[in-house]
Amino acid sequence: MIEVKGLTKNYGSNRGINNISFKVQKGEILGLLGSNGAGKTTIMNLLTGYKPPTSGEIYIDGINLLEKPMEAKKKIGYLPEIPPLYPELKVISYLRFVSDLKDVPVRIREERINKVMNLVNINDVKGRLIRNLSKGYKQRLGLAQALIANPDVLILDEPTVGLDPKQIHEIRSLIQNLSKEHTIILSSHILAEVSMVCDRVIILKNGEIVAIDTPQKLARELFNTEKFFVRIKGPSDKILSEIKDIEGVLSVEKQKNDPVSGFSCFIIENSKSVDVKTPLFFKMAFLGYAIHEIRPESASLEDVFMQLTAETNCNEEAV
Amino acid sequence: MGALFKKEIYIYLCTPFGYIFSGLFLLLCGIIFSFYNLSGTRADILGMLGALNMVSIVIFPVLTMKLLAEEKKSSTDQLLFTSPVTVTSIIIGKYLAALFVFLTTLAATGIFAVFIAIFGDTTPGAIIGSYFSFAMLGAAYIAICLFASSLTENQVTSAILGFGFLFGFMIIGFLSNSMPWPFMNKVLKAIAILSKYDEFTNGVLRLSPLVYYLSFTLIFLYLTIQVVDRRLKDKEA
Ligand SMILES: Nc1ncnc2c1ncn2[C@@H]1O[C@H](COP(=O)(O)OP(=O)(O)OP(=O)(O)O)[C@@H](O)[C@H]1O
Ligand SMILES: [Mg+2]
Repeated sequence: MIEVKGLTKNYGSNRGINNISFKVQKGEILGLLGSNGAGKTTIMNLLTGYKPPTSGEIYIDGINLLEKPMEAKKKIGYLPEIPPLYPELKVISYLRFVSDLKDVPVRIREERINKVMNLVNINDVKGRLIRNLSKGYKQRLGLAQALIANPDVLILDEPTVGLDPKQIHEIRSLIQNLSKEHTIILSSHILAEVSMVCDRVIILKNGEIVAIDTPQKLARELFNTEKFFVRIKGPSDKILSEIKDIEGVLSVEKQKNDPVSGFSCFIIENSKSVDVKTPLFFKMAFLGYAIHEIRPESASLEDVFMQLTAETNCNEEAV
Repeated sequence: MGALFKKEIYIYLCTPFGYIFSGLFLLLCGIIFSFYNLSGTRADILGMLGALNMVSIVIFPVLTMKLLAEEKKSSTDQLLFTSPVTVTSIIIGKYLAALFVFLTTLAATGIFAVFIAIFGDTTPGAIIGSYFSFAMLGAAYIAICLFASSLTENQVTSAILGFGFLFGFMIIGFLSNSMPWPFMNKVLKAIAILSKYDEFTNGVLRLSPLVYYLSFTLIFLYLTIQVVDRRLKDKEA
């Protein structure tokens, strides 16, 4: 439904995002997870055609967004970080305006508006001025606006920000319900939220993808494995195959070698339950390859998770 | 286009900007009518429109200051520019809304014109001509001020810029009269928006001023669209 290839966005000399590629299947909920400034909003602004990428391609249901923006935009509903509301308007007139803007046929307009107002539960404020709405209602009206033309794709930038716990719960189940008919991308910096709602998660750090997988797999990978770096004096191909044979090694990554000094470097991933360092040490000693360095390699994924979990804890305390 | 037009009209009805514009406009007409026409016992419409023209440079920027500047500031432009509508239709919709407020207000002053036509010796043709030319001038002013509004995120800056532009065009008109070199004189006259206005009101309806104001309007609408479009297409912003 959505395909993104090599998306890069620079803000002058500032980096927004760098070389992002991913696909989203129809009916899937994809979460963008990352701390402040990771590039979530940037990706969403590009996907909705609000800003052009510095380079890269975007396809919405097979339509190239950059070549046929009008057609592609018809398929997207967007809830930006700040809900795009006009404080002078009443809720109902605002929704009528958005319906007109999005070419909702006049004949079904009122019906659509009522349906969406029921969906996000704002029927009781429909005659109020938007200026006088509480933050939570504004957020829900923002969601209503994104839904009004019944788009195939929903892009929601931090949809639960500013809501109380009960509303957060409501909106999350609403989003899950919506995924029956819509393909959804949402962003959040709350780990728990994304794992609860999303089918797949992209973890972003400094504008790059650190990981992309189902929340379950990500958690397993993170909590059950560790990585370390080794520098060994000896021929890299031979050592590589020897390391792979050690029990408990999940993956070995060959690093750039320094051909002059004769060192080979690797990053080894193993499951936490098995000690691979002891067999590694004896095996290398037996073969006559000296280990010069071993140090833990923190997966960048782990960094991000640490940050995010820390944040979640803070948030929950605040609640 | 229609959606934007309706929304802007609605917002004019809910915010002071439209009322300030129309209020000042009508107030001024009333004052001029009492003093110039009634007390001064003159029976032409030129005094009224002339005076309106002088305050135009202040009140037109008020009418348009919010139109584009505010969308950017409150980030409602994210809604507009991610909807399946073109920049051109957004700008035109907004322009037409401001034009509509102006024309309705101008039409409301028609009551004075009716008095003048009945009790004065001016022909209805002349009055209609004067009105028409003022409407054309206003249409151009709105385009210029809308352009000013596209240049900034701040309403006040937008109003000041609009005032600056209109004032600039007025000054050019005065300068053109005192220019010793005939060539420069011609160039300045060509861009001095009011010099054509005088031509317009002095005589009967003529085609060239009409074309002139229409081009002025179109050029500034085009510039506004360009400014907004360029900003949106900037790959590094
Ligand atoms: N208009 C802009 N001009 C310059 N730099 C920008 C602009 N917008 C974003 N950036 C930069 O791009 C990077 C990514 O920002 P982005 O807003 O996408 O992050 P985010 O993940 O949405 O963060 P948050 O959780 O705070 O919303 C940041 O370093 C930010 O400073
Ligand atoms: Mg953001």
